[in-house]
Amino acid sequence: MRRIDHHHGHVARWLRRLWVMTWKELLQLSRDLPLLLFLLYSFTLSVYVSASGITMQLRNAAVLVHDADHSLLSRELIHRFHQPYFQVLREIPDADEGMRELDRGHAMAVLDIPPRFHEALRAGEPVAVQLQVDTTNAAQGLSAAAYAGRIVAGFGADTAAGQLVSTLPTVLSEHRVWFNADQNETWFQSITHILRMVTLFAILLPAAALVREKERGTVEQLLVSPLSPLQIMLSKVLSMTAVILAATGVAYYGVIQPAFGVPMRGSAVLFFVLTGVYVVTSAGFGLLAATVTRNQAQVGMLTLLGIAPMLLLSGISAPFEVMPLWVQRLMSLSPLRYYIDITTAILLKGAGMDLLWRPVLTMTALGAAVFGLGIWRFRHQSE
Amino acid sequence: MNLRRVQAVALKEWRETVRDRMFLLLAFLLPVLWLLVFGYGLVIDVEQIPVAAVDYDRSELSRDYLSRFMHSRYFDFRGHLNSEREVDALLQTAHLRAAVIIPEHFARRLQEGKTVSVQTLLDGTFPLYTDIAKGYIIALNNTFSEKLVSEYLSRTSGLSLEEARRRAQPVRLEVRYLYNEEIRGTWSQVPALVMFALMVASPLLTALGIVREKESGSLYNIYSSTVTRVEFLTGKLATYLAIASVNVVVLWAMAVWLFQVPFKGNFGLFFLASVLFVMVGTGIGLLVSLLVRTQMAALVVTMVVSMVPTFLFSGLLVPVSSMSRGAQVQAHLFPAMYYTNILRGSFLKGVGLEVLWLDVLALVIFAVALRLWGYWLFTKRPRA
Repeated sequence: MRRIDHHHGHVARWLRRLWVMTWKELLQLSRDLPLLLFLLYSFTLSVYVSASGITMQLRNAAVLVHDADHSLLSRELIHRFHQPYFQVLREIPDADEGMRELDRGHAMAVLDIPPRFHEALRAGEPVAVQLQVDTTNAAQGLSAAAYAGRIVAGFGADTAAGQLVSTLPTVLSEHRVWFNADQNETWFQSITHILRMVTLFAILLPAAALVREKERGTVEQLLVSPLSPLQIMLSKVLSMTAVILAATGVAYYGVIQPAFGVPMRGSAVLFFVLTGVYVVTSAGFGLLAATVTRNQAQVGMLTLLGIAPMLLLSGISAPFEVMPLWVQRLMSLSPLRYYIDITTAILLKGAGMDLLWRPVLTMTALGAAVFGLGIWRFRHQSE
Repeated sequence: MNLRRVQAVALKEWRETVRDRMFLLLAFLLPVLWLLVFGYGLVIDVEQIPVAAVDYDRSELSRDYLSRFMHSRYFDFRGHLNSEREVDALLQTAHLRAAVIIPEHFARRLQEGKTVSVQTLLDGTFPLYTDIAKGYIIALNNTFSEKLVSEYLSRTSGLSLEEARRRAQPVRLEVRYLYNEEIRGTWSQVPALVMFALMVASPLLTALGIVREKESGSLYNIYSSTVTRVEFLTGKLATYLAIASVNVVVLWAMAVWLFQVPFKGNFGLFFLASVLFVMVGTGIGLLVSLLVRTQMAALVVTMVVSMVPTFLFSGLLVPVSSMSRGAQVQAHLFPAMYYTNILRGSFLKGVGLEVLWLDVLALVIFAVALRLWGYWLFTKRPRA
């Protein structure tokens, strides 16, 4: 009985020390006012602006029209180039002007309708209209060409149908989009922006906090104190995780739910628990970086080396499945790659642990491995 | 301004940087590594969309229709499912991004000359992806229909197949791709990535360099020395400017020789604009370093301020013209967009100052304004 008490006291003391250290970190953070203000900005205003303004789909592509026919049918075709995909800026008198405007980047495409367009169509002769597309941004250029192709094909089919009789054997596309029925890109952008911020802060804050102690030499004091290396590292992670979770809560309940109606179809508790797991995992990477560097400039550069690929290649900035295989393999080391699937699954698809156990397990294992490595290195160094 | 004192500050800064081996290595390595990883890795051409089918018709025609999904490089056909219910779970776990449902009597209705609706279920979580997938499916349906219609017309009205096809689709769209004739993703990405690599590294180098002195207290030596504010800032920034100028040339060489991106413009203009851009970057770093107290804050703030707008508001992934008004305003408030214009203009379009002068001017204004602001904030008499 006494032994259990003794053991119990041991654990309680261990936890109390951890708590004291965690509290110290929170206090230290609370005194850095510029940093706190910036944290608030990152999870509120910044989320709002990116979510409401950014769209990767083709929108309002500026089109200039060179109409050499000025007929009923040519105007009808021009009218079909409308928002949301295109906006016809104006008509231009000659083709050279179109080229100049494309050079300046004032327009993205020039539509060229030949003379005798109307006449030829009515006579049943084949006609070609030309589209010059700026492909300095390849994806957008291709997208614009594809939409224009659809518009012209639809126009052609309608003109043909007007002359031909009866119905034709065509396959129509009927789309049902799930999870985000009106393909509201705001949802996607606001969620990914929060993930971006969570990632940045989760890696940087604990890493900088640990290196700071090393740089100033206060880590020596901590090491001669009764604290174990595990407690020192854990206290930094726990305090920063608490702060980041609170910020995520503010971003979700304070910004993206009221402003954009982003749903929480699954369990909110599950979402925040898994966000916590993700933050701890990412923090592990930051701490690992902190153990191999000596000052904050170094740790900044080193984490930057890893953060940029994480943010760009994990599937929040561009679709993951289309990346080359070696990137997909490399990114299986990025916890963000699992967290994005988890987040969209809980928020938009209403999925629970029964469907998510695999990414959750992988992410947790990754976190444990990285964290273990960090602790091992830190202990090794401190001896 | 005394040049000898500027030189002294610059030399001190240079020594400090050079002696930190790891920092120096990363300062040169980081942009190069990024260009390599993103240049080869950041592919945004959407292909191989995982798709499955529920075929309630099981006719020869429906198999013919589905074989088009199998042979298209845009789709990765994952096989047949028995009912719509199975689609549900697969979409939820992102094993599928789309599913095609072919109704009963698909073949019979088409042979009778009637229209048929094929239902497509799409995962809407990544709207760009959904949009592109939808486009591919519509295009696939159109070509399939075109074939059916022309066959039907030639069968019913005795036209030749060629003539029937022309009747069915009288207007053709000829597309000419300009500036990037083969529409290579790397050609449009790499110039913008040069911008990304420069933009993120230079503010960080600067901000940390100054806050480090603030935090460790060595800045007090400067306060009490004869070095004036201008001399200190000039000397301090010279090192980072030098590092970044080397990086500009290296990145340019990689873009041209490694990634084979054509460089059609004027190298002088490109280099000058790049140096200007780096000066803007160091200006941002300077400003941040004066507004925060700790290196930790400097690290976080510069990283968020330089990285996030740089890939959201620069035109790297998202074209500025498609943004909402508010986001466009924000895009114009960051220097990245102007420099991206200059880069794409110089590499792909081959235009010069006559077109790009406005962008260059914007960079000049940024560089000067940031410098003045920094100068005004930096004081040798710290408050309290």
